[in-house]
Amino acid sequence: MTRTQRLASFTERPELVGLGVLLLLGSGVILLAAEITSGALAYVVGGLMALALVGYATTIVRGTSDDRRSIAPYALLKPGVLWLSIFFLAPLWALFVMSLSSKESRFDFFPDFTWEWANYQEAFTRFRPQFIRSFTYAGIATLLTILIGFPIAYVIAFRGGKYRMLLLGLVVIPFFTSYLIRTLAWTTLMSDNGPVMNTLETLRLVTVFEWLQIVDDGRLLSTPAAVIGGLTYNFLPFMILPIYVSLEKIDTRLVDAAMDLYSSASSAFRKVVLPLAIPGIFAGSLLVFIPASGDFVNAQFLGSPNTTMIGNSIQDQYLKQLNYPVASAMSFVLMVIITIGVLVYTKFMGTEELA
Amino acid sequence: MNTRPQSGKNTPRSPRWSRRDFLIRSSLAGAGMLSLPALLAACGDDNGGSSSDGTGGGGGGNSLVFDNWTAYIDDETVANFIAATGIDMKYLETYNDNNEYFAKVQPVLSKGKKIDADILAPTSWMAARYVSLGWAQKLPLASIPNKANLRSDLIGPNWDPNGEYSLPWQTGTAGIAYNISATGREVRSVADLFAPEFKGRVGMLSEMRDTIGLILMSEGIDPSTLTSFDDAAPAFEKLAKANADGQIRQFTGNDYMDDLDRGDFAVCVAWSGDVIQLAKDNPDVRFVIPEEGGTSWYDSMIWVTGSENSDAVAQWMNYVYDPENAAKIALGSGYMTPVVGVREVLEAMGGEEAEMANDPLLFPDDVTLARLRVFASLGEEEEAKFDEEFSKISGA
Repeated sequence: MTRTQRLASFTERPELVGLGVLLLLGSGVILLAAEITSGALAYVVGGLMALALVGYATTIVRGTSDDRRSIAPYALLKPGVLWLSIFFLAPLWALFVMSLSSKESRFDFFPDFTWEWANYQEAFTRFRPQFIRSFTYAGIATLLTILIGFPIAYVIAFRGGKYRMLLLGLVVIPFFTSYLIRTLAWTTLMSDNGPVMNTLETLRLVTVFEWLQIVDDGRLLSTPAAVIGGLTYNFLPFMILPIYVSLEKIDTRLVDAAMDLYSSASSAFRKVVLPLAIPGIFAGSLLVFIPASGDFVNAQFLGSPNTTMIGNSIQDQYLKQLNYPVASAMSFVLMVIITIGVLVYTKFMGTEELA
Repeated sequence: MNTRPQSGKNTPRSPRWSRRDFLIRSSLAGAGMLSLPALLAACGDDNGGSSSDGTGGGGGGNSLVFDNWTAYIDDETVANFIAATGIDMKYLETYNDNNEYFAKVQPVLSKGKKIDADILAPTSWMAARYVSLGWAQKLPLASIPNKANLRSDLIGPNWDPNGEYSLPWQTGTAGIAYNISATGREVRSVADLFAPEFKGRVGMLSEMRDTIGLILMSEGIDPSTLTSFDDAAPAFEKLAKANADGQIRQFTGNDYMDDLDRGDFAVCVAWSGDVIQLAKDNPDVRFVIPEEGGTSWYDSMIWVTGSENSDAVAQWMNYVYDPENAAKIALGSGYMTPVVGVREVLEAMGGEEAEMANDPLLFPDDVTLARLRVFASLGEEEEAKFDEEFSKISGA
């Protein structure tokens, strides 16, 4: 065998080398970042990763241009895979391990892994009301953002004209202020003696609002309505922007064509505009519902002890009770429920492309 | 000045680096930052960077970081201290909640690493936790001669019997605050927290010991003698029932001051000094130690492990225990000073300060002091039980 032949056989399947190195680096990073291995073993893993990189480089340098071409995609995948490994998979793994651990002392920071499934049981049973409340509030808030956001996006996209960018800017401007500050501003505005309540009283609308269950006992704050309102307000731009993007792409001549074919304005809207806007609504509702169901800021500042959401409970278990295992189990349950919900929703909405 | 060099024809419009070059170089730089050695170092031995060996024995840097509660000092003392000693002191006000701060520093301190702060002022029960976990260093007491000025009852609690690890910062009481424009009447008793007329406008502190302590007193149970959760159960039941009835608007930390100021809280459990400060701006806000009695607490300065600035720590503690300086802090914070002799200093100042010297909330008389109780120190298991039951009521 000549030397070139040996080299050729070494790189016969360069794409496998690429894939192997990619997987090895990814799992190595997870092992190290999630602190699954430590001490001497960590150096072994690190060494293996370094060796893999060297092998990869050798393959590139000594291979033919065909080899390089087939191995290149894996190089391009590497940043994404490493990013996901470090910032998503490794923490997720650590969270999962934590959720099955138990603590000997309350002040242990490194609980022992003991397959403690009771953590999940506690997360499910004890915090059921908070879970239900979170999803209810987040669901209502999502519906409200659609109802409010769609017309706004519609007006900006179709009637905005030269002011389009300005109007979009106005939608985004509140984001220049911190989320927390915006929520706290609500406590001043909605205060029992604040401007909103005073206006309602002057207009004699308090009874109407009480009938709508928005005002409770003469107050707007510390009610479920306040929490849902805060969620709606804070997440509204996440609904408007995707809907705007999908509406803006619509060719208005399609509407004209529908009208030419004797469609009424409303059925043109229903049969042309709305279906084309579905991807935007879909993306928007994910962007609103997911963070809203894990939110704890609105419930803390605008709510009462009877409107706490699962985010508050997770925060309490982490920071006050120092019960990391149960808190991790709760986070995991939350994540799983949301994932299942999103999958079902995707199926139901039947949209493949997200805006 | 020519702000746009060579904007003429000579310069090509495209940048010197091609896009490809740029991508390669930036990815190399990125790879360099994410290099394996760094990862390995982060995941290897956990003992790096610790230097927590007891008293530290003098010396250390000429800087100091004190992470304290908000609105807990006057405007001048820190600047005066820096001018007097040349120590580069950073006074932060990011200590908002005992439990949350503990959770924040626990990962660092339990690994034997150093946090930014040299001194903390947790409430005594939390200071006890730091000491028992070995996260507090022995104070350089020999260099703090002004320690002699301290009220003797605040030194050497049962969790630090020789007073080696902690010295008091300020002490105060928890009682009831009310906004008279919202209540329409004076409030005198814990029972008013449960009065139907204030439904939905009552605030409670998320600090379990103060809220539960007050309710216990109103039930005729002395919170300083608690030994198990069962002893305190009546107070928890009362609170849970009130919450189920919609009596309670919110459980808050220090942020109750805004709600009280606006009148959203008609009545709430509150800390004396906060209300004294708030009342300066809003005369409708008042504070009372309820008829049934109030709880008293104190915050302790501890020197966190890993800090090497023992000289600066000693100088700071010595400085604030000087009655003249302590008087300024007491005026600024509105809490009871642990330093004896402050009252005389204030009286000598005359005017408004002399009036403060007669404020029963700043300098309570013996009758008032006799109505105050300190919450019993709880064992680890009991404390967990108390915290958990309390969180169940506050909804989390």
